Amino acid sequence: MVESYKLMKKKKTLYTTLILVVFFAVLIWSVYGVLIRDTNWSKIGSAKEVWEAVTRFFPPEWAYTLKLAKPTLDTFLIAVLGTFIALILSVPVAWFAARNFTPFFPVTYPLGRLVMTISRSVHEIVWALIFVAAVGLGPFAGIIALSMRSIGFTSKLTAEQIENIDYRPIEAIRAVGGNPMQVFFYATIPQVLPQFIGTAIFQWDINIRRATIIGIVGGGGLGLVFSQKMAAYQYAQATACLLAILLLVLVGEYTSTRLRTLIQ
Amino acid sequence: MTSELTQKLKNRNGKNAILIVENLKKTYPSGEPALKGVSLEVYEEEFVALIGLSGAGKSTLLRCINRLVEPDSGKVYLDGVELTSLDKKRLREARRNMGMIFQEFNLVERLTVLQNILTGRLGYIGFWRSLFRKFPRKDIERAVELADLVGMKPYIYKRADKLSGGQRQRVGIARALIQEPKFLLVDEPTSSLDPAIGHDVMDEFHKTAKTLGVPVLVSIHDVNLALEYADRIIAMRNGEKIFEGDAKGVTREKLSEIYQYEI
Repeated sequence: MVESYKLMKKKKTLYTTLILVVFFAVLIWSVYGVLIRDTNWSKIGSAKEVWEAVTRFFPPEWAYTLKLAKPTLDTFLIAVLGTFIALILSVPVAWFAARNFTPFFPVTYPLGRLVMTISRSVHEIVWALIFVAAVGLGPFAGIIALSMRSIGFTSKLTAEQIENIDYRPIEAIRAVGGNPMQVFFYATIPQVLPQFIGTAIFQWDINIRRATIIGIVGGGGLGLVFSQKMAAYQYAQATACLLAILLLVLVGEYTSTRLRTLIQ
Repeated sequence: MTSELTQKLKNRNGKNAILIVENLKKTYPSGEPALKGVSLEVYEEEFVALIGLSGAGKSTLLRCINRLVEPDSGKVYLDGVELTSLDKKRLREARRNMGMIFQEFNLVERLTVLQNILTGRLGYIGFWRSLFRKFPRKDIERAVELADLVGMKPYIYKRADKLSGGQRQRVGIARALIQEPKFLLVDEPTSSLDPAIGHDVMDEFHKTAKTLGVPVLVSIHDVNLALEYADRIIAMRNGEKIFEGDAKGVTREKLSEIYQYEI
């Protein structure tokens, strides 16, 4: 007993050491590779210059914040519309991708899963770049990009909810002579809807943040204004944009948390 | 209608058979036959208990009668209407005449007690009305009456997921009764409940069924409950009917034979 315990402990220590060695080797390698070798040290200024560059952003141009009402509202609406479209589109995707409800498993199930994977594995910035190229700069590109990015998450959670559905109420509604639509509205929807609404609110909250980011690559709203100000070296105004973004995100997060506790 | 059937319809102490099951068979895709040709009748106002060990095929038999599970062969007559050959629409119409009460209550958790009872009327309600949950006034009044009858009137606006087991089963009973069924299928109504509560629920249910004169086929593995309430006992083992007789005539010897062990 004691012998085997000692042996086990020895083995464990060996593993721990090995893992630590590998971890630090990778760490040192990356510091050397991307920090020491790839940074152009000669171009980095003195501490004073760095400090000056940072202070150019302060104080923010307070008067300019008033002009940001419109782009802030735009960003907010892009998030709302992008989420809304995603929710509508995710209903058929979730239906297809739910093992137990998919209409024709060999075709529709992989199709649903494929849409999910594409939506989730392509970053929102990439989606935005694609749609800016397709429909031009502005909120429209942003809205479509957001909805494409969001379908995956909302439909995945919804499909999982459908897969975990309780069949007992379904049986009961069938037994009283309910038709398939009645079974759907009385037994299926009540089990999926609360979670779907929760997912929608959560996704909307995330999409407010995404909407500002995709604005930077041309998707409209606050992000677009921010990137324009940066390009024009108007740092004080750029800081005003950042403050507006911060405020909008905080409001979104607060609302989302409150709403989600309400529906539980 | 076959002559054999009309014969049966006249049968038994001047009471008609409401339910006639003939040679019902079912084998699940997994292979083992669940029903090996079961025949039985339930007559007007009769309370019949279906007993047997779990796995004997009681649940499958009940579900084959209203075709929640499709039987492989055999006939089921409900008040003279043959069910196994009906198309989907006619089957739904036929199901309206047959209430079902479930072991695990099968309520819609997020609907209120009143809404759950009202779902028993869905077979009579059109699509749009049911979509907006707009039930006719007389249905709502009846639902409240039935809630009162099963002792759930104080809780009609409570959501089903906030109820205790006994309360849930009372709602399940009211949901079946609002169908104004000609016949009730009851699947292990008390086995998800505490014994004492189960006994109360069974007692009230038995009284109600007798008052309304609805014939009942109830599967129940608790033999004592079966003997206490049933007029007649049908016993099953391995997908076959092995005994049928008046509850009064069931002896200990008979039971140990049914269950193949000492009771």
